[in-house]
Amino acid sequence: MTRHTRILMSVIYSAFVVYLFVPLALMVMMGFKDSKFIGFPIRGWTTEWYAGVFQDSEVLGVFAYSMTIAVSSTLLSLVIGVWVATFLGPNKFRGKLIVFALTCLPAVIPGIISAISLRIFARFLSIEPGMFAIILGHTVHNVPFVALVVMARLATLPKSHIEAAQDLGADKMVAFFRITLPYLLPALIGAGIFCMLLSFDDFVRAFFLGGYQPTLPVLIFAMLRTGMSPEINAISTVVLILTAVLGLWAERSMRRMNKGA
Amino acid sequence: MTDQRDVIVHLDKITKRFGSTVAVDKLDMEIMAGEFVTFLGPSGCGKSTTLRMLGGFETPNEGRITLGGADVTRLPPNRRDVNMVFQDYALFPHMTVGKNVAFGLELKGKTRSEIDRRTEELLEFLQLGGFRDRTPDQLSGGQRQRVALARALAPDPKLLLLDEPLGALDAKLRAQVQVELKDIQKRTGKTFFFVTHDQDEALTMSDRIVVMNAGRVEQDGTPEELYFRPQSRFVAEFIGETNLLEGTVRGSDGDAIVIDWNGIEVRGSAHGAKPATGDAVMAALRLENVNCYSTRPQAGNAIEGRIVNKLFKGSRTALDIRVGERDDAVIKAYLDAREADSLPPEQLWIDWDADRLSVLRD
Ligand SMILES: Nc1ncnc2c1ncn2[C@@H]1O[C@H](COP(=O)(O)OP(=O)(O)OP(=O)(O)O)[C@@H](O)[C@H]1O
Ligand SMILES: [Mg+2]
Repeated sequence: MTRHTRILMSVIYSAFVVYLFVPLALMVMMGFKDSKFIGFPIRGWTTEWYAGVFQDSEVLGVFAYSMTIAVSSTLLSLVIGVWVATFLGPNKFRGKLIVFALTCLPAVIPGIISAISLRIFARFLSIEPGMFAIILGHTVHNVPFVALVVMARLATLPKSHIEAAQDLGADKMVAFFRITLPYLLPALIGAGIFCMLLSFDDFVRAFFLGGYQPTLPVLIFAMLRTGMSPEINAISTVVLILTAVLGLWAERSMRRMNKGA
Repeated sequence: MTDQRDVIVHLDKITKRFGSTVAVDKLDMEIMAGEFVTFLGPSGCGKSTTLRMLGGFETPNEGRITLGGADVTRLPPNRRDVNMVFQDYALFPHMTVGKNVAFGLELKGKTRSEIDRRTEELLEFLQLGGFRDRTPDQLSGGQRQRVALARALAPDPKLLLLDEPLGALDAKLRAQVQVELKDIQKRTGKTFFFVTHDQDEALTMSDRIVVMNAGRVEQDGTPEELYFRPQSRFVAEFIGETNLLEGTVRGSDGDAIVIDWNGIEVRGSAHGAKPATGDAVMAALRLENVNCYSTRPQAGNAIEGRIVNKLFKGSRTALDIRVGERDDAVIKAYLDAREADSLPPEQLWIDWDADRLSVLRD
């Protein structure tokens, strides 16, 4: 690389970083603005919006609701995903590729289409719109990610480890719980956090499958319609920090896993 | 070694096919209690497959496997009194050394105190006392190998299977571990079934060696028998370095068989077999069993020859000695370097003990 291209590259990269972070920085800033209106100029600073968020029982309730959905759908996705991966990974059977493709499909179907079809399907099964329906919707969407990550990890598990366990007296179940599962743990942590983020962040499915109780993204959307207020910025900032921390931690644990294997 | 001891394992004409490949072909053999048996053979000859059938990881297509008198042919690995040391050791990475060793004991339903006692005892026995709380990635190759051994010994199996367990060690450590392993086998009195494709390893450690080729047993005997009395060309060439002499049987001279080799009379031994006069035979002679003299010996049937090639190899010197008129009538010999230099290259005599020239069975 010549000097010039190197300079050009770093300029482009810096521009990208600015483009990425300026909107976020603006959003965070507005959350501290001492005025009801979003925009410049900023005449004074306050933390009252944050205080408001943490005292607003509606916001807190919605947050808890979203968390419940995220945790439940994640746990469900992990169980099903591991099951799919251990079934698809080592077994050779006809039509394996088709089963695999079908499993992956929910991850790539556009959210709106998947949401509408799930809504119809839920009605068909007489499942009321609400938490349970959202959990199912998120689980369908998340399972492929879990299965893919777990399959990748499973492929690196030496066959001899399972054989050694069986050799020492373990049946298939014991070998799975004492050898395979601990080996999968880093992958499960990574995939689990990823699922939580996907679920927590989801608007479309939650909107179509939800009942009267909104999830956090749906609540923010509703608040926006009644007018932009710095309270929304405060909520968003809290969510931003939480997800960034979780996401970075997941990324780190995945990287560790790849190095450690 | 195959004296009055109990037969602990019997492989009864077992065959294993993978598609059209016959990995093991009607293999028939017995293992005695307390023996160190080595399976020796080239890559792909079916050693691992046989071991895996003993461990329960493969099921033979034909034949039966009995262990301590009971048929275990179709028993899964977790229900056999057999443990295995894997080539890559297969230590559980998320468990400490102590937990690894205790794994088999826990599954046997031993009490906590029994498990702790036995684990401690084994770690002590294998000089791993200070490593109990380390994980496998904090150990050296040799230490890992010992942990794998301790883990396999812990449930007190009837038979221990070892599939090239020294393959991952460097040459020096390997030589040291060979001695240790043999010593451990002697001290525990366990039956070891060891697989290798390294002949030195097999000769050093075994009570008995089973040479395998293309899924079949070529020869089964003590290291000395295999080395000095190979029964087939394959064994003669696979173990050590050897002169192969092709000729026809002339008759016998006492216990010795007289063979016409390129017009020269040589004496060999058929070790009990009686080839008929006129039979075409092949015989094997180890390089170090050839004696060389600078003057014709008084007694015996020494053959005159001359050195056509000399190669210094450090601990010994290899000589190519041409005897008789034909170009291919060459006997190779290993001598001490000083002795090789003292020989007159143009005229010397060679001979060997008749029982060192082994007439091959086929
Ligand atoms: N699972 C399998 N599927 C198909 N073929 C196999 C399988 N396992 C072994 N074989 C074949 O069976 C034959 C014997 O293999 P085996 O692993 O027993 O050889 P080996 O004597 O242990 O060789 P090495 O010294 O290289 O380990 C080989 O031709 C091998 O390709
Ligand atoms: Mg092998």
